[in-house]
Amino acid sequence: MTWMDFPLYSSIIVILWIIGLLFLLISYTKEFVSKVAYTLFVAGWAVMIVFVIKLWLELGRPPMRTLGETRLWYATFLPLIGFVTYIRWKYKWFLAYSIGMAGMFLAINYMNPETYSKTLMPALQSPWFIPHVLVYLFSYAVLAASSIVAIKGLYDNFKENFNIETLKLADNLVYIGFAFLTLGLLFGALWAKEAWGHYWTWDPKEVWAFLTWMGYLIYIHYRHFHMHNTKQALTILALAFVVLLVCWFGVNYLPVANTSVHTYTQY
Amino acid sequence: MSENHLNVQRNLWENPWGYVESFFIGFGLIVTGFFLEVFVTTSNTFTLSYPYNVVFLAGYVSILFVLYKWFSTTQLIRWLTKVPASISSISLVTMMVMIMGIIPQVTSQNNIINNLGLNHITSNWAFLLIIFQFLTCLGLISIKRILQFKWSNFGFILNHTGLFLALIAGILGTGDLQRLSINVYEGKPSWIATDANRNEVELPFAFFLKDFLIDEYNPKLALVDNNTGSISHNNGKNLYLVEKGETYYFNNFEVKIEDFLPNAIRFGMRYEVVNEIGSPPAAKISVKNIETDTIQTGWISSGSFRYPYESFKISEDYSVVMTIPEVKKFSSDIDILTKDGERISAILEVNKPFSYKGWKIYQLSYDDKMGKWSNLSVLELVKDPWLPLIYIGIFMMIAGAFYMFWMGNKTTKNQLK
Ligand code: HEM
Repeated sequence: MTWMDFPLYSSIIVILWIIGLLFLLISYTKEFVSKVAYTLFVAGWAVMIVFVIKLWLELGRPPMRTLGETRLWYATFLPLIGFVTYIRWKYKWFLAYSIGMAGMFLAINYMNPETYSKTLMPALQSPWFIPHVLVYLFSYAVLAASSIVAIKGLYDNFKENFNIETLKLADNLVYIGFAFLTLGLLFGALWAKEAWGHYWTWDPKEVWAFLTWMGYLIYIHYRHFHMHNTKQALTILALAFVVLLVCWFGVNYLPVANTSVHTYTQY
Repeated sequence: MSENHLNVQRNLWENPWGYVESFFIGFGLIVTGFFLEVFVTTSNTFTLSYPYNVVFLAGYVSILFVLYKWFSTTQLIRWLTKVPASISSISLVTMMVMIMGIIPQVTSQNNIINNLGLNHITSNWAFLLIIFQFLTCLGLISIKRILQFKWSNFGFILNHTGLFLALIAGILGTGDLQRLSINVYEGKPSWIATDANRNEVELPFAFFLKDFLIDEYNPKLALVDNNTGSISHNNGKNLYLVEKGETYYFNNFEVKIEDFLPNAIRFGMRYEVVNEIGSPPAAKISVKNIETDTIQTGWISSGSFRYPYESFKISEDYSVVMTIPEVKKFSSDIDILTKDGERISAILEVNKPFSYKGWKIYQLSYDDKMGKWSNLSVLELVKDPWLPLIYIGIFMMIAGAFYMFWMGNKTTKNQLK
């Protein structure tokens, strides 16, 4: 079984990536080393692809039946989306985040060997599962970053040395994060149609995902048309993040929780 | 955009309406809706079905078009195409949905919740009215940008018109949505389905279940506390799959799986492989207590609807048990029989529905007490004639999301310079 080789492959990948991350950090001051970082990331990713292909060939089916296998796909696609976003938007921290998350999924697989075979219920065995979760991972990361920027903005505002560039950064992050959030919602809807026959059932998790979406929608429109009311915009952004946190962690504690199809123990 | 941030003093309801007026109108709609909920007690919810929903859609879009084309200078239409009206309706829709996200949507003990209809938000008048304003804003600005088409409006149209289409088709489509479930037994044709209200519906074709198949994962091994009966390792997560030859460690016990039989029943001191309905999996394990260096051997079985389970007590405090195997995949090998004697074969599986004559046929469930020996398969049939329109909307929004990802908020940036 190729899973036997997993510790070997994953250690090579993780080591390459860690060195890459170090170079990426250095590149903040010495730009020329960033090429080294990219090369190391790509090399690690190539090893990853080799492993996935070998596993696929050996199993004779797409490796998407167990939790361990799904995590492998997260680890494969996270760097890819990270790179596309980086090429377009040049946020280095974001590239680091995607590589870091991918490494984390590899580490989880490495540390829980028994989850190689941890079972996945039939409804989750769908080609939509991975894109659905992945775009959410990205959107939450980017939107969380936008909120950190908002908090910095509110603080600067309080100190009365607010710089409009801060808000422009927040805007851009919200646009990117919102695009991923929209994709997450819609992929979820398309998947639900395939699995349960209906694209939208107002399941509590869906309700809160929708609310999060609406929260950022308010921000986008408010920002676009009231460019000078920075404080209000920052407040809306902070509130939208509260809704996002409820959606992410809080739904299970609300009175509506026991009616959700989304309460699997863990991804 | 032409925002006047010089803060000119302006009276309420004076041109142009701003946020105060917008929220005033929005709350007005919601309060009206709650009045309707309390005083107009109709038991049936507001749904339109064919052809009325099509007429409604055509009429609605035409009216929006006429309003935009010839009345865009009136106060009302100008307000509806401006951002305050949109932001207030987005906020108020958010507020209504938030109620749905907090109050369980089932009959409540609380009379206020029942009377105001807070437990059925999606068919609540207040929600419908505010959604109506939301859609009207969205529809009008879609028309506006489509009529003044420029390539730079492309993303805007994808997002706004896509959302408009998906929402309106979703809302109007509920009246035509048919959702039936049918019990199909191995070896005999079935054509009587039931709808959501448990009424019988005769289908124009019959299902013949040739075979119902369940694929299971191996069962899992767990250590339970004899006093509490609960799983006492790994916080109850990550149980170990039973596989012949594997060794697992629980606290200070080393558990080796000597043998694993997927279908077996007990004969005296041991389990033996049989091919019989309801024969559960069983495993022979040897447990070594690392502290005392003693070894015990015994059998465990998860049991089934027909045979009892068997655990293995390894000390005063602990026993090893085998969990009931989890389902990996279930599928139905069916034939669809039509009235003109046609026979269409299909395999239904979760996440792999089959389309037939406008119906989508889903594998829903089976007799879970019987598990893999079930000869019942429950299918679901869904007919949703509005789906193409909804999908057009969804795919427009997906394209719009890519556009948004790629463009970011460039416009704002440029305007600030
Ligand atoms: C998919 C969700 C949505 C996205 C991504 C989105 C995004 C945007 C963006 C980026 C703008 C400014 C762009 C430009 O001026 O070209 C805008 C304008 C606007 N949006 Fe949205 N929006 C969405 C949903 C809505 C909804 C639900 C409403 C109303 C209920 C709405 C109402 C408006 C209005 C009124 C404008 C100004 C239009 C104008 O001045 O012509 N939007 N939207």
